[in-house]
Amino acid sequence: MASIPADYYDGRSARRVPVSLSIEGGWLMLKGAELELEIPFSSVRVSEKLGSAPRQLHLADGGHCAVSDHAAFEALLQGAGVRPRSLVSRLEGYWHYAVGALLLSIACVVAGFIWGLPWAAEVAADRIPYSTAHIIDQHVLSTFDQGMLQPSKLSPERQRELQQRFDTLRAGRDLPDYPLQFRNSPAIGANAFALPGGTVVVTDALVQLADNDEEILGVLAHELGHVSERHPLRQLLQGSVVALAMTWYVGDISSLLAAAPTLLLQTSYSRNFERRADRFAADMLRSKGIPPTRLADMLEKLEQTHRKAHPQQQAASVDKYFATHPDTAERIRSLRENNPGAQ
Amino acid sequence: MEQQEQRLSFTGSGSEYFRIWIVNLFLTIITLGIYSAWAKVRRLQYFHRNTILNDSSFDYHADPKAILKGRIIAVGMLLTYNVTIKTMPMVGLGIGLVIALVMPWLLVKSLRFRLYNTSYRGLRFGFDGSTAGGYVNFLLLPILSAVTVFLLAPFAHQRTKAFQHGNSRFGQTNFGFDASAGAFYKVYILGLLLLLLVGGTLGYAGYTVFKDFAALQPKAQHGMAFFTFILAFYAAFIFVGLLVVPYFMSRLQNLVWNGTTLGAHRFSSTLSARGLLWIIVTNFIGIILTFGLFKPFADVRLARYRIEHMSLLAEGDMESFIAGEQQQETATGTETAEMFDVDFSF
Repeated sequence: MASIPADYYDGRSARRVPVSLSIEGGWLMLKGAELELEIPFSSVRVSEKLGSAPRQLHLADGGHCAVSDHAAFEALLQGAGVRPRSLVSRLEGYWHYAVGALLLSIACVVAGFIWGLPWAAEVAADRIPYSTAHIIDQHVLSTFDQGMLQPSKLSPERQRELQQRFDTLRAGRDLPDYPLQFRNSPAIGANAFALPGGTVVVTDALVQLADNDEEILGVLAHELGHVSERHPLRQLLQGSVVALAMTWYVGDISSLLAAAPTLLLQTSYSRNFERRADRFAADMLRSKGIPPTRLADMLEKLEQTHRKAHPQQQAASVDKYFATHPDTAERIRSLRENNPGAQ
Repeated sequence: MEQQEQRLSFTGSGSEYFRIWIVNLFLTIITLGIYSAWAKVRRLQYFHRNTILNDSSFDYHADPKAILKGRIIAVGMLLTYNVTIKTMPMVGLGIGLVIALVMPWLLVKSLRFRLYNTSYRGLRFGFDGSTAGGYVNFLLLPILSAVTVFLLAPFAHQRTKAFQHGNSRFGQTNFGFDASAGAFYKVYILGLLLLLLVGGTLGYAGYTVFKDFAALQPKAQHGMAFFTFILAFYAAFIFVGLLVVPYFMSRLQNLVWNGTTLGAHRFSSTLSARGLLWIIVTNFIGIILTFGLFKPFADVRLARYRIEHMSLLAEGDMESFIAGEQQQETATGTETAEMFDVDFSF
């Protein structure tokens, strides 16, 4: 019967005893100079193979054997009717599996980023009530109020008027009723944006740019479309996970949530988000007797002002939101085509 | 009795470990991180089993489920803290305080877990440091060194190492620690001088270059120049780190292990700052150029360098170590159920 060299340790002292090891008829046999052991093989726990490091056979009494001749030991195990290596150990053993694991890992990360993450963010966002996410709004607003945003210069009467029209617009919908936030911001220019909890912020420049209130309501309806589908919250959740993954990859966890407020404004929505918000806005405006083309008019003006402000450099960070959106023209066309005769 | 030097050796290889690493990374990804506990055990087993002293290897025995438990606790704590500090700062602060208060207790438990799960020649290591000692060494001393503008940091470091090594044992044989605080001060002061020298020179050179550079640019492009400056600052920061870290790491490992005893035996560590510098710099470049794929090779290179520059100065018979009482107790596995490892290193 085949036997292989091994080292035996009794688990009570550090003494090494060279033995010859064999497996016969369900018994593990260890034979050394002053030692002869027969142990039922079923009570022995064999460690997995990890590279070419020695393998251990753990005996029930706390002792163990270390084996370094892997090929011979695997043959012994095979002979005893035991699978010599676990699945993971076999995967680790060959280059083609390693390359496969590498390619599949990359594929998983890419697929997770493209499909998994947006799906998970949508499911999670649907389960977070507006009131909870509103805490984020307050935090984000107070951060912006210390820098990019200043108090509005619009008169209180004008603000109240717009607030009333905004309330009428969203009446009867399942939307949060947080007040519209007016801000002045030379840095952002004419703009409006929605926060994760459903707060809508509009800048003085946008109010002044509009030729009539219906155009402002067009943009606000578009923002309510984002709120209704939880786009800002979904965007925030996705951005946080990406930031978490990046910091893990780079190896620093502290900057994780610090990036959240900037992520909010700097990541532009996907084409799909914009289209859905437009569709929501068109429906909302029509139900209040406002032609949806007002939104198209306003988009056109916004596009023009931003192009004027940055003739070459359209990709200036914060302006991304409206100005550099590649398919603003496409959105304007679609709004007009689907709502003809309302001009 | 005569003293006999026994060098440690490392038999792992980068290409072998790469395969283990990538397969376990893949399994971690498809199990959404749960497998990471099993991956960690395999990783530590690979490094322990390839560390050879006197023809026998070390081994690692942790139950992955205990590691998973610890990881869930750690992630839960960090997540709760990070979310509350942003949404409800006062509550977040309270949670941070609670975390700081339980941390020493968790660290002592982790040390116990790690050492208990490490073995050599079938004998388990162990850690007998008390929880009270943990509070002194992992809470009081860091606070003390912070309020003294780190004047006490080398002393605190020496006390912490004395706590860790002085309370460890192999089987029934206790480790001891006799490196002095003065020796720690020496390493820290020389390290600080090196940092000032390298950082200062580089900073001054950078300042002169940047001044000329900024003067040459038209006003409108100052933003761009500032951006370049920030980039250059980060690059310099990494560069200085790459130069100074090997010095600290090598001197500290040497100091700590040359001051460690195991019964009548001693250790010797002979890392050189220059050798370590080469390993760390090339590892860094390799990892950057391969988007991280060089990491397993880098880990093996660093482990080999650190392990192979250590030896045990054996005082007579090496085979006379015997198992601790705890090992006989826990052989049945009753106590291990409540053990877990809290790993904040990620």
